[in-house]
Amino acid sequence: MANKTGATIELLNVSKVYPNQPEPAVENFTMTINPGELVMLVGPSGCGKTTTMKMINRIIEPSSGSIKIDGQDILTLDQNQLRRNIGYVIQQIGLFPHMTIAENVAVVPTLLGWSKDKIRARVAEMLELVELDPSVFSNRYPKQLSGGQQQRVGVARALSADPPVMLMDEPFGATDPITRERLQAEFQQLQANIGKTIVFVTHDFEEAIKLGDRIAVLSKRSKIEQFDTPANILANPASEYVASFIGEGAALKRLALMRVDSAVESGNATGPAISRDENLRVALDSVVLNAGRPVPVVGGGRVSIESISAALGIDVSRLGQ
Amino acid sequence: MTVQATENVSTSYSQPSDRRGGFYTAKRFGTPLLVIAALGGLLLFLYSRGEPDKIEAFALNWDYMLAKIDEHIRISLFSAIVVALIAIPMGIVISRSKSRIVSAVVLGLANVGQATPAVGVIILLALTFGIGWATAVAALVIYGLLPVLRNTITGIAQIDPNITEAARGMGMRPLQVLFKIELPLAVPVILAGFRTALVFSVGVATIATFINAGGLGEVIVVGLKLTRPAVLLTGAIVVSCIALLLDWLAGLAEDALRPKGV
Amino acid sequence: MGKYDLSLIWPFFLDKLDEIIELSTEHVLVVLISVLLATIFGVSLGLFAWDKPLLRSASIATAGVILTIPSMALLALMIPTFGLGWVPTLIALALYSLLPIVRNTVVGLREVPEAVMESARGMGMSPLRVLLSVQMPIAWPVILTGLRVATQLAIGIASIAAYVAGPGLGVYIFKGLSMLGAKNALNFALTGTVMIIIIALLFDALFILIKRLTTSRGIRG
Repeated sequence: MANKTGATIELLNVSKVYPNQPEPAVENFTMTINPGELVMLVGPSGCGKTTTMKMINRIIEPSSGSIKIDGQDILTLDQNQLRRNIGYVIQQIGLFPHMTIAENVAVVPTLLGWSKDKIRARVAEMLELVELDPSVFSNRYPKQLSGGQQQRVGVARALSADPPVMLMDEPFGATDPITRERLQAEFQQLQANIGKTIVFVTHDFEEAIKLGDRIAVLSKRSKIEQFDTPANILANPASEYVASFIGEGAALKRLALMRVDSAVESGNATGPAISRDENLRVALDSVVLNAGRPVPVVGGGRVSIESISAALGIDVSRLGQ
Repeated sequence: MTVQATENVSTSYSQPSDRRGGFYTAKRFGTPLLVIAALGGLLLFLYSRGEPDKIEAFALNWDYMLAKIDEHIRISLFSAIVVALIAIPMGIVISRSKSRIVSAVVLGLANVGQATPAVGVIILLALTFGIGWATAVAALVIYGLLPVLRNTITGIAQIDPNITEAARGMGMRPLQVLFKIELPLAVPVILAGFRTALVFSVGVATIATFINAGGLGEVIVVGLKLTRPAVLLTGAIVVSCIALLLDWLAGLAEDALRPKGV
Repeated sequence: MGKYDLSLIWPFFLDKLDEIIELSTEHVLVVLISVLLATIFGVSLGLFAWDKPLLRSASIATAGVILTIPSMALLALMIPTFGLGWVPTLIALALYSLLPIVRNTVVGLREVPEAVMESARGMGMSPLRVLLSVQMPIAWPVILTGLRVATQLAIGIASIAAYVAGPGLGVYIFKGLSMLGAKNALNFALTGTVMIIIIALLFDALFILIKRLTTSRGIRG
């Protein structure tokens, strides 16, 4: 499975029943995840989202149903071989405190029997990928790193053997808001380059919108309430439940997903120009800061309250009141 | 279950040493200095008294003392090694077992064992199996087993489950998780238990003299029975110095073997 | 074990009941007195030293050295000065009991979260007041555990005291040894040992009870 980015993951009627518990933790969960896709599982705590994810690398064994990666039933594979081909990042990170950063990142390549030289090169490559200078960090121990740095090492460790699939369980949940924003932005960048198939569990809907290609909103027993792109979920929540999960300001959240491109109108404007690649949320902020007057767009044209409203299909001047 | 030494009723001092920081701490040099001072003071005292009387001369000569020291260290170290060879694998097996009852029973037994007086154990063993070296070793082993066993179990149990889950999630086999993750992380706690066992051994070996197993207890007993305080003090001071030195050495080993990142 | 007849232990026990009760009482008394002495001294030392780094580590290190000394040797060291019997036993046991008491007092007092200390001070409590009405109650379970460990230690070590003509059930254990080969040897040694274990377990239960009764419900584990 190595040296290939992304794999298809198919879950079919997957259930998990714990002995001595009346209700299943996960019931008849079915989902197909495309190669290179980042799917967010969102739901309240206890809804079974983590259980669902952990069945993919068999940290939790499914009670029934089938899980296939690239068409191969994972229940027929040796579970340790399977796990060596799935990157795994958890909220508590679980770095090995008695190993250096380099040794931590080298664990799976070592298990896979790579040569020493190859491992050394790979470790350096991975640390650079997560923006940690190998010459500085390789020989440090986890406790000498900040929480954000530890989490980056966690990601580097999960990616080190170039697995086609990554499982991430609230990886940024334990960091402070500013660090989280940075890690999310870096991770977005990273995923754009590596294109893994990622199952990402979170209870933070904002995070799901920001990072996900598709979002599955889950309720009890891991029931899928809606499984769609962030924009579609924001625009058309399938149920009250989903709507309540989105919470206030769905329109503003959607704006953050749309590019300035989609709302450029012709005309002139004065004020600081904004880039076409920015999102409309930033554009709206600029307009508001410009006392409600349209602002110019780099490369020609402008955006105004009206053009943004037209792009969104809602009168934005009434938002936030 | 975390190892909270202060709440750990069953042992008085089975906790990892907290010597961090540099090599040159007071504790590192405190023990040897104390031992040198005690032995120096003892020698000064003995020589300042002049010639020992005939009875004292029986014990207060180098050949006899060195032989007793040798016996004492031999029996203590030998038992401690036997203890490690039995208790560590046993602790691992018990911590592998899924049932919590097993480790609860073992820890409960350990507590009762702690309450059993060493002299009772050693004398009961002697009454049952006869006196001598082998019986003494058996008593020392029984007595030292508990701290090492308990610390092996708690040392493994205290490891953050997220760390072992991460290891499993990366595809380590159970034995790999044990040898690469769990044991290295449990080393400080296991060694602390071993250190306690070692100190116990030296102490119980002193009592072993009652069942003719030699050692420095014999010197103390001779001093007591023949009312020769000089002999009694010599035996007591020398055996105390051995206990302190072995404890100190074990502490050094503990520092050296502690995984660096921990 | 052929030489010894275990079936005789119950008649033996009944026959010697008065003596057994007397020795057990002695054993309990010697433990109580020495742990009490160690508590008075150890807790005071802990209260005084907990926030003074040098004194704190010096007292814990000293108590640690004492505990490392084999019990036989410590008892022997007492004899030239204090002679035989109760006095050297009490002093040796008290010295042994010091480490758990001092250490747990210091650790308990230091474990009180800084935020709690700060808000106590912020409310205008004097340092003594903070110590007595905030730190002590929070540290109490840990200190009590220290007393419990000290008591267990003292119960076990007290059995050796019989060898220096000290009191307690050790007398029976050594009697067993001195009668090696005789019919009642095992009965004596076994009775002494088992009674000591029973006393230790009773004390342990007592401490669990005291802990439950005297620990604030808010911090009971």
